[in-house]
Amino acid sequence: MSSQPAKGAQKEFRKRDLFYLVPLWVLSLIAPDPYLYHKKEFKRKDLYYLGAIGLAPLTWSDPHFHHVMVLAGIYAILALGLSLFMGYAGQISLGHAAFFGIGAYTTAILTTRHGFSPFVALWASVLSASAVAYLIGRPILKLKGYFLALATLGFGEIFLVMVRESTDLTGGVIGIFGIPWFSVAGFSFDTYLKQYYLIWGVVAGLFIFSKNLVRSKLGRALLAVAASEDAASSVGINVPRIKLEIFVLGAAFAGLAGSLFACIMSTANPETFGLGVTVPIVMMVILGGMGTIYGPVAGAILLTWLMDILSRYQEYSLPIYSIILILLLIFFPDGIGTRLNVRILYLIGYWAKKRKRDEGKL
Amino acid sequence: MSLLSIEQLTKEYDGIRALDRVSLKVEGGSIKGLIGPNGAGKSTLFHLISGVEKPDSGKILFKKRDITNMESHERSALGIGRTFQTVQVWGNMTVVENVMAGMHRRLKGSLFSYGLWLPWIRTSEKEALKEAKEILNSLGLLGKWESTASQLPYGKQKLLELGRALAMKPQLLLLDEPASGLTLSEIEQLSERISEMRQKGVTVFIVEHHMGMVMEVADEIAVLHNGELIAEGKPENVRRNSVVMEAYLTRGSAGK
Ligand SMILES: Nc1ncnc2c1ncn2[C@@H]1O[C@H](COP(=O)(O)OP(=O)(O)OP(=O)(O)O)[C@@H](O)[C@H]1O
Ligand SMILES: [Mg+2]
Repeated sequence: MSSQPAKGAQKEFRKRDLFYLVPLWVLSLIAPDPYLYHKKEFKRKDLYYLGAIGLAPLTWSDPHFHHVMVLAGIYAILALGLSLFMGYAGQISLGHAAFFGIGAYTTAILTTRHGFSPFVALWASVLSASAVAYLIGRPILKLKGYFLALATLGFGEIFLVMVRESTDLTGGVIGIFGIPWFSVAGFSFDTYLKQYYLIWGVVAGLFIFSKNLVRSKLGRALLAVAASEDAASSVGINVPRIKLEIFVLGAAFAGLAGSLFACIMSTANPETFGLGVTVPIVMMVILGGMGTIYGPVAGAILLTWLMDILSRYQEYSLPIYSIILILLLIFFPDGIGTRLNVRILYLIGYWAKKRKRDEGKL
Repeated sequence: MSLLSIEQLTKEYDGIRALDRVSLKVEGGSIKGLIGPNGAGKSTLFHLISGVEKPDSGKILFKKRDITNMESHERSALGIGRTFQTVQVWGNMTVVENVMAGMHRRLKGSLFSYGLWLPWIRTSEKEALKEAKEILNSLGLLGKWESTASQLPYGKQKLLELGRALAMKPQLLLLDEPASGLTLSEIEQLSERISEMRQKGVTVFIVEHHMGMVMEVADEIAVLHNGELIAEGKPENVRRNSVVMEAYLTRGSAGK
């Protein structure tokens, strides 16, 4: 998600796509049954996480940390929306970055050319991304499995081509520059720290929203659709409609993320909305653990940091990145969150029992 | 007027006539059995009634409405519930969630009211949970309410599927071989629940190979053979019907 000058990067971008496809392919071979049992109530644990996210930038005041976490937050919003569609409803979308792009371009065009405030542009971005998702989703969501994957992939690529070619509207491969900072009621988010709180505030809000969704009738309907569509419609679940609803919701999340991203980077160019974004967010959802709401957020933080750390090694970064992803998938096939949780809980349980035994002996 | 009436229903699969001009009626409040050798077309008939498949020709009327071309979920909204021959519980959910998902139609609220967890959502979800537990209790599944549905043994999954269908509060319940794979005590529980439905005014249409059970619970029995309706009537008459005996004998698969 770096915004380099676009021209020289064009060729490199293709090569990079291939590197992303390798882990995706491996993943398709070893990805497990993603549906995991999970508790759905809010717990005290949620408050601890919230506290940690809130306090982290104060104890760690490095602007680079703030900036990477801002990017992680943007990825987290994208991955949250996608995980409702993939991890819960059991569908596949490889065109999610297009909605991210639609959000970013809507904001870019409205703020730089028509003088709208970023706050208004944000809502316009959410609406335009959802509207496109609605129009695309109606025909496309009838497809299943690989066909759906291919159709969404195609949609994403067509979006990129359209952006590159319609130079008047989008600035072509160069993109649009000079997007103002995000601001609400005169308060401008002009430092990394302010942006950190903006983004993670949004993540927290959307997290609560998503968690409420999945613990309700809607979450059950999504899981039902994923497991057996015949059985789902036999209890009166309108399968096409619920798929569409959740697809549009995911697109709305992505549009929101795109709008914030454009304001933070102050540019929008086609390079940032292709497979280079789609594949990482799919990875975040899967690596984080499908069918959980923590998963995508944890996956976003992990992968964003991984990409940032590896970017030091330049041309070696992508091969190393792929290898690490493959290893993670082999050792944590149900996602990092779940397996680690189980391990840690087991250790704590063991330790507590051992202590009790020791005390008993003493 | 009967609750469900089927007129001249025909369905072909690649040249195989699974159903051949079948007409029958199911009276409201009754329990109707459907029997026939393997491959007779029983499940096909249920798929057509519940909307999983569409017929090639013929008509299905439910509560005097033509539902022949309605989508499956619309039919369930009208009050048709069903179970499947091979269980279709949602293994990715807990037992109690399976039953709660059966209440989908009865729980109201938009996506946003759920996302924001508005006060009435909180109460309706709580009530749904309570009701689901009651249903599980009546099926002897309450002890397992929090485990994942896929971890239940086969027989329990079949009962769970029945519970899910009951949670819809259907007017017509289609049961496709509910007793297969169940232990004797589970079959007893099942028969009890089915007889209870008669008192509640639920109409039951049941496919079953377990003859003892259908003969006991059903008011009327229809017999399918090679896609054709070959007999219909009171259980004792059907049992003595020579055409039926022959159909079962020639196929060599009397389900008893
Ligand atoms: N989806 C399908 N595609 C092709 N043929 C099918 C399909 N479903 C059913 N058939 C055929 O239609 C006929 C009737 O099948 P059906 O499943 O309705 O029988 P059944 O009476 O339920 O039998 P069983 O007692 O074994 O469940 C069979 O010959 C079967 O092979
Ligand atoms: Mg059958």
